[in-house]
Amino acid sequence: MIEVRDLTKYHFGRPVLENVSFRVKEGTNLGLIGPGGAGKTLLLKIICGLVEPDSGNTFIKGQKVQGLALQELTQLRFDIGLLFQNYALFDYLNVTENIAFPLRQAGKHTNKEILKMVQESLNSVDLPHIGHQYPNELSGGMKKRVGFARAVIPKPPIVLYDDPTAGLDPVTSSKIFLFLKAMKEERGVTSITISHDIEGIRDICDSFVLLNKGKVVFYGSRDEIENTQLSLARQFWHGFSDDELG
Amino acid sequence: MSNQKQAADPRMQEENDQSSAGLVSAFFAAIGEPIVYVTRTVKELSALFLVTIKYVIAGKRRPDEVVAQMFEIGNRSVVFIAVTLGFLGMILIYQAGFQAMKITGDLTLLGALFLQLLMREFGPTITALMIATRVGTGMAAELGSMVVTDQVDAMKMCAAEPIEYLVVPRFIASTIMVIVLTIVAVLISYLAGALTAYTAFDVNFRTYFDLGFVSYFDIIIGLTKALAYGMTIPIIACHAGLNVFGGSEGVGRATTQSVVNASLAVVVIDFIISGLGYVVLALF
Repeated sequence: MIEVRDLTKYHFGRPVLENVSFRVKEGTNLGLIGPGGAGKTLLLKIICGLVEPDSGNTFIKGQKVQGLALQELTQLRFDIGLLFQNYALFDYLNVTENIAFPLRQAGKHTNKEILKMVQESLNSVDLPHIGHQYPNELSGGMKKRVGFARAVIPKPPIVLYDDPTAGLDPVTSSKIFLFLKAMKEERGVTSITISHDIEGIRDICDSFVLLNKGKVVFYGSRDEIENTQLSLARQFWHGFSDDELG
Repeated sequence: MSNQKQAADPRMQEENDQSSAGLVSAFFAAIGEPIVYVTRTVKELSALFLVTIKYVIAGKRRPDEVVAQMFEIGNRSVVFIAVTLGFLGMILIYQAGFQAMKITGDLTLLGALFLQLLMREFGPTITALMIATRVGTGMAAELGSMVVTDQVDAMKMCAAEPIEYLVVPRFIASTIMVIVLTIVAVLISYLAGALTAYTAFDVNFRTYFDLGFVSYFDIIIGLTKALAYGMTIPIIACHAGLNVFGGSEGVGRATTQSVVNASLAVVVIDFIISGLGYVVLALF
């Protein structure tokens, strides 16, 4: 469903991603873990065509993302939802219009249908009464849930989550992970989840990639990462430091 | 003796050669860098302009957003423009009248010549410089903050094209409102000049309001300039905003870049249209 093949990206002459390769099977969730600055967010942006790599390719449903014309890329993005790390809510639109935005762009629904879908979506993220509010009136957790609602409202078969629980309290974090679990189990969504919350993603991801300094240092299933003897992976998975990461 | 020794030392000679080569290369880099920057920027601005025109012709119609931008550019700038151009009219008439009194003492053509100058030069150009400062920086900062907070990427992920969604309404609104503001600016400056001429030099209104020197050609040149400025300012501002990198520091850089580039563009366009205008006038 998603394939990343030999991706390399330089930033001011310095490699930030080097020969990154992995696959995500249909209906599964891949956990992308690693220390800050490892290139995880950049990798997500390359996967959905927001950033061009210097070499290598990504494939979504067998279609090569790099080199697509703007119209083809736009069409492909109807199949991908992206939850941004910093929410990326449109600050000049209220919550209802933020969530309605992708539906309005698709142009497949009437205004009445869109408003009904938005309300259902708000109910599903436990925020039924905030449709009239603007992003600057919301807390971090509320923004995250609104961002989540906007990413999934067009029912895309692929959803990319960039650190969905960063900076949130444990209760809101667990709610977010429940949403992610529901997306996978009820809708069969294929996804990649970046997270530093190993406890949270342990149960919702089927496979894991550990990135360090732009390189894949581990790629395998949940069982494999739990039993790996690879020091870096063990260190990150179990949350102890022996100065190998960094 | 010491110099002879240095010249004879091959290592010293090599170092001297390298240092000369470094100076030459630094010299050419210093000349080449701004040329490369200007060429690249003009190329990118031309591409953005063409894509914007394409969406103006064939894109989605969003009249509400255009009206909102017209309000932002026009209504919110009118006081600023009126005050600036009003004072400019008073100063110019006072200075012109003062000089004329010293040389000929004849003030009968004061209003007529001032109106011609206002229509051809000061009206559109000063208005555009004010718009570049007030509106251009606002556009660059707004779009720049949208870029650094990933809102532009979110727009792309929602299958909305940022140029169509963000640049086109600003472009249409600015093109219309710079023309409107130029007309308002010319009228206010001319009226302020009339009051100054009457108060300071006792020039009566009948003498001042003389349209004898103004031709259709002056009106066409003035409106052509206003049209060109109205299209150029949002393109430069939006280009600066959409190319922001590096967080809030980058937004600051973009606003500075926007106002500097837009002001330079206004002056260059003024020169080109004025020059072409005189060529056309000579031919016909």
